[in-house]
Amino acid sequence: MSFLLASVRKDLARWAQDRTAVLIWLGIPFLIGGLITSMIDGGGGSPTGTLLIADEDDSLLSGFVVGAYSQEQLGELIIVEQVSAKEGEARINDGEASAFLTIPEGFQDALLNETPVTLTLKTNPSQTILPGIIQDVTEILLDAGFYLQRLLGPELRSITDAGFEGAPSDAFIAAISVDIQHKINRIIDKTDPMAIDLQIVGPPPAEPQPNYALLFLPGIILMAVLFASNSLAADYWIERDKGTLRRLVSAPGALTGFVAGKAIAAAAVMGVVTAVVLVVGFAYHGIVWSKFIPSLVWVSLGGVGLFAWLAALQMMFPNNRAANLVTTILLFPLLMAGGSFFPLAALPDWIANIGRLSPNGFIADRLTGELTSATTWSIDAQSWLTVVAITAGGLAVSVLRLRTGFARR
Amino acid sequence: MLVVEQLVKEYGDLTAVDDVSFEARAGTVFGLLGPNGAGKSTTINCISGLLTPTAGRIAVSGHDVIKDGTAARRSLGIVPQELALYEDLPAVDNLRYWGKAYGLRGTALEDRVATVLELIGLADRAKDLPKEFSGGMKRRLNFGCGVVHQPKVLLLDEPTVGVDPQSRAKLFDLVETERNSGACVLYTTHYMEEAERLCDSLAIIDHGKIIAQGTVAELKAQLGARDALQLNGQFPDSATSEAIEGLREDIADLEILSQAEDSLLLTLSAASHHLPKIFAAISGAGGNVTETSLRSPNLETLFLLLTGKELRE
Repeated sequence: MSFLLASVRKDLARWAQDRTAVLIWLGIPFLIGGLITSMIDGGGGSPTGTLLIADEDDSLLSGFVVGAYSQEQLGELIIVEQVSAKEGEARINDGEASAFLTIPEGFQDALLNETPVTLTLKTNPSQTILPGIIQDVTEILLDAGFYLQRLLGPELRSITDAGFEGAPSDAFIAAISVDIQHKINRIIDKTDPMAIDLQIVGPPPAEPQPNYALLFLPGIILMAVLFASNSLAADYWIERDKGTLRRLVSAPGALTGFVAGKAIAAAAVMGVVTAVVLVVGFAYHGIVWSKFIPSLVWVSLGGVGLFAWLAALQMMFPNNRAANLVTTILLFPLLMAGGSFFPLAALPDWIANIGRLSPNGFIADRLTGELTSATTWSIDAQSWLTVVAITAGGLAVSVLRLRTGFARR
Repeated sequence: MLVVEQLVKEYGDLTAVDDVSFEARAGTVFGLLGPNGAGKSTTINCISGLLTPTAGRIAVSGHDVIKDGTAARRSLGIVPQELALYEDLPAVDNLRYWGKAYGLRGTALEDRVATVLELIGLADRAKDLPKEFSGGMKRRLNFGCGVVHQPKVLLLDEPTVGVDPQSRAKLFDLVETERNSGACVLYTTHYMEEAERLCDSLAIIDHGKIIAQGTVAELKAQLGARDALQLNGQFPDSATSEAIEGLREDIADLEILSQAEDSLLLTLSAASHHLPKIFAAISGAGGNVTETSLRSPNLETLFLLLTGKELRE
């Protein structure tokens, strides 16, 4: 036990001197994760377009048109800016908006008098969806304006003819309202649908889906852990080059304590790296803090497993350079498959299933479950046992490799 | 204390150590003297358990290194040829770590670490990192890590390679301290003068085989009083041989160790008295001497006598 603790202290003291490495392990995942998250979360979740409107008529009806684009769900898609004709022309030409609508002077009179009038809608050719939506909405509005004029033309005309300087009187509003109501009552039998009771049966309410950026968090954490694991695994080669492994294998029964010491020291490093990313992730996504400890323990344990196997793999190669090159190259498919670049939940099922079989994908998948489930300590016992067994296997192979020649130089 | 019997180590077709046997006792320094690649380090690696012998038996303090490896290694200390230190850990932590690796604990460990720091002359630099040390200081710390657990058998694999004279003298003192404290020291070197100074007994090894073994006095006696005479110049092949053979009537123990077109190596007693005759004979055979080197009997001469080549070739 004393030698085990001495080994842990020895490695932590040595690794602590390499602070740059810790910054790199954390920096790259934070950079990538930050970019991805900001791309996903940056606009509030939905794409929006800007509609520039030059209202040269500045009338009641042109005001209805301008206001119509900001109603309900349409208002979430389209930001309306009123501009002058000159400014609107310049900005649409510079590609700063999805569309530019010009309501000409005399629009209200033309509509009420049923004389031709032309509204100009100029769209941005570099965008595809939003200009199309704006064009469709504009056409619907014009159709609605036509029917509105047909139905309520006199009432509208009386409003515009009144020429209010302040708010209209209550009596005037009441009279207009009564007239409109009478007209609606006269046509309601012709416009109401048949009295059919339609019951819409939808799918059962689905569980609330976690947001896309949250699904990235496990992959980002595993990216930091993989970088740290690979870097720490190279320490066996460093010790070999220093000659300390030769001295070690000449000592009685010290090999197991040495490898176990490295594993515990690696777990401590993984714990620190994971904790930093988790704290940021928990704070950003508002995850309940009771999930922090199980997440930390799970990833730290999994990180030791990755460290153990990467170390065992590195010790299979004839020289340090080849070992480092191969495991570094191996990291990228692991990161890809394990959900560090694309969350497993966002991948097609068959690809996600393959990804979950990768060691980091397995850890990330269970971590995703822990972070998004309603309960804490939700990772099942079988998963814990699997990671413990894999970690123990990797450490055993490392001991074996040290005994069978790696320590010699 | 250390017994090596008929040790063989093969790598495929190459036999690195071939039927090597020797015995080193407690309180003595046993030297393995030989040129680079002779098989010294392979022998040490077999003893320390780094290599598995192809054949033979090795016993450390009565424990077989194969059958009872853990017990054997408990009695072993090793100072490898190349530094084996954590240069990013303070000197005192290096000693503590290796002490714990050999089972030392608590005050016994701390007392021993303090003693070793004094012994190797690094007590005032105990908390400094070895990466800030000079080469000689690192060598001393490397030595300290090998003896911190007071091994009964200490393996020193060319510990003075690349060491300045002052540090070398200090290392000699350390080796003698270990011997005086009762350790059995196995010391490999290709420096003849080190072996002569430190070793109570030694074996000369070449191409994996022991070619001579005994105390320094016994080995020197094999030479008798013969000197080694190295001549450089031009030496016609058969004529020179015949001329030298012709001198045997006057110089009974004259022997040609090696001959080439431009060099001739002879052994004989009182060589300086016979130089005129030898030069005359060579001249008479059509040769000439441009450079002469005369060495009195020592282990290097013995190595020359036994192998026909220099120890440091």
